[in-house]
Amino acid sequence: MKAHSLALLLLGVALGLPLTLLAARGLQSRSGVVEVHARVAETGGWTPETLSAVAGKPLRLRLISDDVVHGFAIGQGQAAPLDVEPGRPVETTLTFSRPGRYVFFCTRWCGPNHWRMRGTIEVSGPEVSPEPASAPLYLTLGLDLDAPHPADLPPAERPSASRGAQVSQSMPATVLPSGNLRSESPAQVWRRLREAPETAAMTDQELWDLVAYTWRSATTTEALVEGRALYASNCAACHGEGGAGDGVMAPSMPAPAGMEIGHAAGSPANFRDSQRMLGASSAILQGKILRGGMGTGMPYWGPIFTEAQTWALVDYLWSRSMDYEEVR
Amino acid sequence: MSTLDLTAHPTIKRLLRSRWPQLILQLIALAGFLVALLASWLGTPIGNHNFAIVVVWIAWWALLMLLLVPALGRGWCSVCPLPLAGEWLQRGSLLGPRLDVSGRPRPPLGLGRRWPARLRNIWLQNGTFLLLALFSAVVLTQPSATGLVLTVIILVAVIVSLVFERRAFCRYLCPVGGFIGLYAQAAPLEVRVTDPAICTAHTDKSCYVGSAEGYGCPWDLFPGSLTKNTYCGTCMECLRTCPYDNVAVRLRAPGSDLLNPSGRRLDEAYKAFIMLGGAIAYSAVMLGPWGGLKTAAFEIGSLPWLAYVGGLLAFVLLVLPGSFLLAVVLGRRLARPAPPLMKTFVSLAYAFVPLGLAAWIAFSLSFVLTNLSYLWPVVSDPMGWGWNLLGTAALNWHPYLTSFVPPLQALVLAGGLGWTAVTARRIAEQLGGGLRLAWPTLLVALASTVGVLWLLLG
Amino acid sequence: MTVVGNLLASRKRWAAWAVVALAALILAWAPLPSAAYAASARTFRIEARSFAYTPGTLRVNPGDRVTLELVPMDYVHGLYLEGYDLDVKADPGQTARLTFTADRSGTFRFRCSVTCGALHPFMIGKLTVGSGSLWLRAAGLSLLAALAGFLLWRR
Repeated sequence: MKAHSLALLLLGVALGLPLTLLAARGLQSRSGVVEVHARVAETGGWTPETLSAVAGKPLRLRLISDDVVHGFAIGQGQAAPLDVEPGRPVETTLTFSRPGRYVFFCTRWCGPNHWRMRGTIEVSGPEVSPEPASAPLYLTLGLDLDAPHPADLPPAERPSASRGAQVSQSMPATVLPSGNLRSESPAQVWRRLREAPETAAMTDQELWDLVAYTWRSATTTEALVEGRALYASNCAACHGEGGAGDGVMAPSMPAPAGMEIGHAAGSPANFRDSQRMLGASSAILQGKILRGGMGTGMPYWGPIFTEAQTWALVDYLWSRSMDYEEVR
Repeated sequence: MSTLDLTAHPTIKRLLRSRWPQLILQLIALAGFLVALLASWLGTPIGNHNFAIVVVWIAWWALLMLLLVPALGRGWCSVCPLPLAGEWLQRGSLLGPRLDVSGRPRPPLGLGRRWPARLRNIWLQNGTFLLLALFSAVVLTQPSATGLVLTVIILVAVIVSLVFERRAFCRYLCPVGGFIGLYAQAAPLEVRVTDPAICTAHTDKSCYVGSAEGYGCPWDLFPGSLTKNTYCGTCMECLRTCPYDNVAVRLRAPGSDLLNPSGRRLDEAYKAFIMLGGAIAYSAVMLGPWGGLKTAAFEIGSLPWLAYVGGLLAFVLLVLPGSFLLAVVLGRRLARPAPPLMKTFVSLAYAFVPLGLAAWIAFSLSFVLTNLSYLWPVVSDPMGWGWNLLGTAALNWHPYLTSFVPPLQALVLAGGLGWTAVTARRIAEQLGGGLRLAWPTLLVALASTVGVLWLLLG
Repeated sequence: MTVVGNLLASRKRWAAWAVVALAALILAWAPLPSAAYAASARTFRIEARSFAYTPGTLRVNPGDRVTLELVPMDYVHGLYLEGYDLDVKADPGQTARLTFTADRSGTFRFRCSVTCGALHPFMIGKLTVGSGSLWLRAAGLSLLAALAGFLLWRR
């Protein structure tokens, strides 16, 4: 009899130990940590998509991927990217000082709809005076982002900033372009230079090189490096690693119906195309990045990039149609 | 044929007779099975971080195919968790017969029906194995699919135990049982009676009927006349019930049963080809560089999957046995006068058992050593919930011994083919046909070996 | 007479097994005649999709300086090369390059090293350096084993 009872006891242990997993799970789910599952956008994206938090109180998250490698970050620089590997849940604690709506997004490419993998965190709290928001430049200037912007006289060769540096040394300072050039396109600046009497002796190409040098001087190496990193992780999958619009995701882009845009329907913009690029201003580029492509598959980055990041990216994009030595 | 009686050692005999070591192992297997079941239903859908997938299809499979089957034949069956719930319910006990007031063992729970005569073969098991194979790309990678399979199996096992007598599920339905029994014929271990004359004189036949010491053979065998391993689950009940201490567990030359002419049947012969064909197919689909094949195997219900199903079944059930049939026909022409066609076909088919075993070992070596490193994180985080029970959750995947695997596979396959050749020759001599009868069969075996070699090493 | 006959037969047997052993050694290790080649620099652009590499089979000569460009097309993928124990991982839009000298001959499988979906453990390609003759040697050894088993073993 004793033997049978002992055997039953051991059976109880053998069955009970695995069942403690369930109890442990119950404990885990009551521990105040919010579980957020990540799946590719086509099968659900973030679940849940909306989180709530209280300003000043920590929000503990457990991020779990159910299929491929994803990443988690909060837009506007509020939280740095965190990789979420399949089968390896990762925990993080976020504390928001100001109430408001924050956007979290996936940072590792997970299919053509990767950029749609976004969610929001509603942070409630005592009313704070809102930070003054400035309208993006294209709105202030009243620019039409979707109008085509060809450069009417594109350069024969790619404008080179290093050649332009040498050209600038033989020019009087008054002629050199200056001031905030963000609202002008390289083509407009080139036109002004061409029409200035002091440059009559210079070739068209030399003037383009000068434009390139001007553009390069308006930014810093740090900004270009940051822009390159942002481009590689956010844009290259569609726009191509060299910027030619031939990224690996390009074939899966939808073709927008009946819409006149600055590049071929169903194909991401080719930043190496000087005729198109040089007729656009930085304001237009920034606007397209912020607003997105209205049904073309171009994401809207407004909630994601900070203003500094957006300008860094724009600065980098110019290096695709003009030659800068530092970023090839 | 010389054998070594292991149970001549009193310690070994005591260990095997005692129910405790077996029960402990069974409980460990049962606990592992339950964790796997829970993980498959509740855990992460990521296969390589889910206890169910990693422990069942990598760890347990490695244990089974690389160690237990070659060394112990049906040894796993004695500790397998699948029939336990049903068997314990049937027996009403965990540890041996419980006696009623008059000192007799209690009758078993359930209807206790005899398994239908028409189904007393392994055709059903051939079918369940093939069924699993058709869905294997999904079952082996999706925890929920593995969960479904395990749940269905355990439910069927319990129901069958309560309707039919003994271990009918194990003997006639279990998909693993089909091949584990066939390959047990090649194992170096056997359970046999020492002196058959004692059994003839013994009227009670307690080894089959049961006694106060133990249960009648759950595998529906009469140990007194057992000459082949195929259906003996090494459960040791007969060791416990025999009043004359006439049952022994012996070491013997591997493959002895393959040369035993009695009990050779078409269903077992076909199983040999299903297994060899299965090893070839798995080597191509799972270990080959052809993504189209893998996607076809995975997308169940699609047209490519139907083509994959058709191709797999045709190869395993028609092409491979068909080539062998041609070899048998040719062999009979070469070795006139020749034994009857059916007898030659069925008998010579057993020569493919060593090759099939070798092919599965070779396939499993690659599959297991590549993926074994998933075991370490999964024991710390069985559900993929972010736990770290043993501190190994952060260990990364790394394939083991990749330079050793191809030469090892080559040796295993060459050895398997050599063994097949010996077996083929001996069976042919038994049939009275000599070498000439078996040459074409050897060619088919050689071609299959070269095929597996090219798939695994090429 | 029979004793001498048995002795002779057993010596024949030993001789036969010695021949088998020698043949096995030759099959396993004898160098195969190989076409003359000049080691060069080769670059392969490998597209990685769940669950296949395109191209899935590569061939190079021993001594080649090989560059593998891993171009993921859908998710984050990896490439782990057996035999060389080299690993590289990449995101779509960020091609990763792996450069090495193919100084080891044979057929080496490369596998995905980043979980990329259900069939990830079966995402496999292969690189053959040189003639890739291991499987042929193994086939030869198998034939030898078959003949030895059929004709020699315990007769």
